[in-house]
Amino acid sequence: MASSHASLGKTLFWGGLTAILYGFLFHYSDEFLRLAHTTVDACVVQKGVGVDYYHNPIPELCAEKGGTVVKGTWWYVFAPIAMAFALSYTHGLFTGLFWDVLGLKAKK
Amino acid sequence: MEHGMELFNFIELDLTTSIILILVGFVGGMVSGFIGSGGAFVLTPAMMTLGAPGMVAVASNICHKFPKALVGAMKRHKYGQVDVKLGLVMGVFAEAGVLTGKHVMTGIKHSFGAVGTDLYVSVMFIITLAIVGTFVFRDYRKLKNMSEEEQENVELTRIAKWVQSVKIPGTMFYSHAAKSELSFLFLIPLGFATGFLASAIAVGGFIGVPAMIYLLGVPAIMASATELVIAFVMGLGGTIFYGLEGAVDIRMAMLILFGSLFGIQIGAIGTTYVKDYQVKFTMALIMLTVLFSRFFYIPGYLSKLGMIAPLTADTAQKLKWIGDGVLYLALFVGAFTVISALLKGMKEHREQQAVLARASAAD
Repeated sequence: MASSHASLGKTLFWGGLTAILYGFLFHYSDEFLRLAHTTVDACVVQKGVGVDYYHNPIPELCAEKGGTVVKGTWWYVFAPIAMAFALSYTHGLFTGLFWDVLGLKAKK
Repeated sequence: MEHGMELFNFIELDLTTSIILILVGFVGGMVSGFIGSGGAFVLTPAMMTLGAPGMVAVASNICHKFPKALVGAMKRHKYGQVDVKLGLVMGVFAEAGVLTGKHVMTGIKHSFGAVGTDLYVSVMFIITLAIVGTFVFRDYRKLKNMSEEEQENVELTRIAKWVQSVKIPGTMFYSHAAKSELSFLFLIPLGFATGFLASAIAVGGFIGVPAMIYLLGVPAIMASATELVIAFVMGLGGTIFYGLEGAVDIRMAMLILFGSLFGIQIGAIGTTYVKDYQVKFTMALIMLTVLFSRFFYIPGYLSKLGMIAPLTADTAQKLKWIGDGVLYLALFVGAFTVISALLKGMKEHREQQAVLARASAAD
């Protein structure tokens, strides 16, 4: 019984961390979108609530649409990579423990 | 379409779309855990069905996979199933393939827009799934008719025997999976093709795994385990290359990951309850269904690109609905097959245990 309590505790811990990371990702989803699209040069057009992103911006065309040309920042590429590593780690541990706690096991 | 400036938004993620992505990830993960590799071939088409451009679907798929591949490789390395050297050497050549393939994809995007990438990815899917699906189906038929012992002792193919016998000075290294010295020159086309395919549809294992088994003489379990090393290397590289083009949608990738990591355990555990040929049957069935679904989207893409006479809005909508329907059917079939195999296997196992317990109690 002691071991299953330990497992439940660990499961909740990693599940909690995973929830926090997902919460962070979706709370700042617009930011992540901006980082993704401005890894390259882009024309950013504010459209009411939403934003349109154009690749290979041409300054005149961009101005016509009322947008701004943003220069690409290559190291933004590490944002999704870091997120992917972090979530794979915490969520991987959580799901493993989750099924274990529920009793789903391989055939010996 | 303005020449030069390309509108390249990611899809809107409302609650429905998010839940669908999680469920799709779950089924993709189950299938992936069950058949060992390439479960992701349902993920790219599913994201495209939800409206993501082909290039973004592929990029986001690659992004969600590579950390999983690392974790998987580390786990299976503990069981001695991974040939790290072979994986890394093929990984390097695969990386070259990914980079080349990414150039092709970006070129298509630049000349034909997002819709062009939809068509390219779909065509690559159709060709790959047709070849691999048929091959796996024939393999399943062969295995089903073999006895248990024959299934254990499938011999090295003639090609593999020849490859292992070729010694080219200065290019040899020892592969503990193949239990032979191999010339890395053979790995160049194989690795490159794996990487190129991965950059087009986010699945490279379709070339990598069979190539290791049938051309290099690596046992199937070690081939699929070593493939995880290649997948990690390709996946990290692919994410960087596509990320530098602004094509990685981390939201989609992580929603899929959420479901996928739950599903993968079910699939992997399910394999311990079924025979090898049942796994192959599932694989072939899902592949051919996904392949079939892609056909319905092609006229729509061709029409948007102006390559055929424009379709009426009504026809285009109907075709898309049928395509969507067939894809969801493929996912449902996949989920149903894995879960029912698992439940049936667990039930039989429990009954066996009960019989054994009664027998020993009676003594």
